[in-house]
Amino acid sequence: MSQSFFDHFAAQASSQPSAPALIWDGETIAYGELAAMAASASADHGVSELPADRPVGIRARKSPEAIALILACLQTQRPFLLPSVELAPETLGKLFAQAGVSRVLEPQGRRSESASLRAIEETPAEEAEPSQWPPAGGGDDISFMLTTSGSTGLPKVVPLPEGAVDRFTDWAALQFDIGPGTVVANYAPLNFDLCLLDIWTTLKHGGCVALVDQDRATNGGYLADLITANEVNVLQAVPMLYRLLIDVTREDGRSFPSVKHAITTGDKIPATSLEALPGLFPNGRFFNIYGCTETNDSLIHEFRGLADGVVPTNVPVGQPLPGVRTLIRSDDGAFLDGTGTGELLVWTPFQTRGYLNAELNADRFAPHPEAGNGETTYYHSGDVVRRHEDGSLTLEGRADFYVKVRGVRVSTQVVEQAIQEHPDVIEVAVVAVPDDLAGKRLHAVLRREPDSKLNSLTLRKHCAERLARTEMPSTIEIVTESLPKTSTGKIDRKRVLARLEEMTHANG
Amino acid sequence: MDDTTAKIKQFIVDEFMPDVSVDELDSDFDLLTGGVVDSLGLLQVVAWLETEFDVGVDDSQLGPESFRTVDAIKTFVDEARGTANAG
Repeated sequence: MSQSFFDHFAAQASSQPSAPALIWDGETIAYGELAAMAASASADHGVSELPADRPVGIRARKSPEAIALILACLQTQRPFLLPSVELAPETLGKLFAQAGVSRVLEPQGRRSESASLRAIEETPAEEAEPSQWPPAGGGDDISFMLTTSGSTGLPKVVPLPEGAVDRFTDWAALQFDIGPGTVVANYAPLNFDLCLLDIWTTLKHGGCVALVDQDRATNGGYLADLITANEVNVLQAVPMLYRLLIDVTREDGRSFPSVKHAITTGDKIPATSLEALPGLFPNGRFFNIYGCTETNDSLIHEFRGLADGVVPTNVPVGQPLPGVRTLIRSDDGAFLDGTGTGELLVWTPFQTRGYLNAELNADRFAPHPEAGNGETTYYHSGDVVRRHEDGSLTLEGRADFYVKVRGVRVSTQVVEQAIQEHPDVIEVAVVAVPDDLAGKRLHAVLRREPDSKLNSLTLRKHCAERLARTEMPSTIEIVTESLPKTSTGKIDRKRVLARLEEMTHANG
Repeated sequence: MDDTTAKIKQFIVDEFMPDVSVDELDSDFDLLTGGVVDSLGLLQVVAWLETEFDVGVDDSQLGPESFRTVDAIKTFVDEARGTANAG
């Protein structure tokens, strides 16, 4: 049997015990110390006495203690569910119940006071979320269980097999040259899949992780100081981090020569940010990574020539990582050979075998219908991509946002973006309303700045310069109050639509 | 502003953009590109023209170009009335 993740970490701890493993709040924790912290976390929580065939829950904000606790689970081969600590206690309780956890652990032995654990214990039996453990395909080889936001209801639990984590962390180390002496900044919260690169690849391969404190993650000065002081070599973050760094360095003219690899992921990076990267990181190479929790990183694009002013306005999502297979399925269900648009289907060596709640898999995981034996399960990304003549892919939007208006395919997301570009628009939702004649017609609801004179005519003039005729909303509603939001703070288009239908029924 | 143009503007605003005041609507504003009047809205406009100005609109005249702007609609009305008077 191959070495486990923990074996690799332990080997680093014994061969280079005084090498730095973590930097937190200005303090350095060496590999030897971190291994000792993991051992005492294991002992304090009695992890090895917990049932071996059931997962544990971990409720932890980012800290060295939290990382030590995860290492203890990896050492004792207990699968662990690591949800966001920002979730409501009730939601956390449901997630832990669904995973069938034997215990919820918190760093520093505060498990008995855990609000989430109490929430589970206090949930009446008839309302309790039934345990879905083990996942389809078995739970023996599961290590990390991460969550991904569902559009409705509970976040979805994504169990990751050890082999998937192993293959991913080896790819990432090779790609970004992570090993002893490398300093990798970790920007994302501890429960994000991005940590498989920043934190777990680094600890497996003997590098040092500079942890960004979650509470200071939007403080550009703090972030710039952390990169400079720790001579960070690898940086992976959402475009916002780069924006913060650009803004803060504009005043002092500082740059970050230590950074060799700067990776943007999770969102489209604006051209204005891309242009500034070579100045910010004079020795850097620049990458865009496309991936999701279910498959982990899938596609990578390297920006070449940024320093010479070669800045793409539409960022390519890139080429498949080694071993990754992609398909593009067009509207009519056929797979594209050449250029065109369609939903991206992905298979990666790093992917989950499916959600813990197997009922959710039908929409998202399916074998390649032309593969015959159905061995390979593709993940349906829900992202619509365009394949260009040179083979490169660019993101067009989310499949969920595509509707047919008078027979023409329109992305409500594109319409929203165009309206959002008007300076007086605070927020906007565009929904497709069923229409007897047109099939669907577009309705835009937008909230304008309080002192704005924006009306439907000025907005239509604005949109006419940006949108095709078919993309133009049939009706525009301008409001001054906030649009309805989901629990995660995103605009709740379902409620916007429901309210509209109520009004239509009331009037009709 | 002549009477016909004022009436057309008032109708467009009342029907399709009640949040806008009549003076804001320029008579050369492209109603089709602006998405104010779509193909269904066009039928409403035609039905109104027929009653309001007592003009007959036969299908062969029903090209969108005649209804692209308030000015175009006025020209259409003037011509339709001119034809009616001559016959």
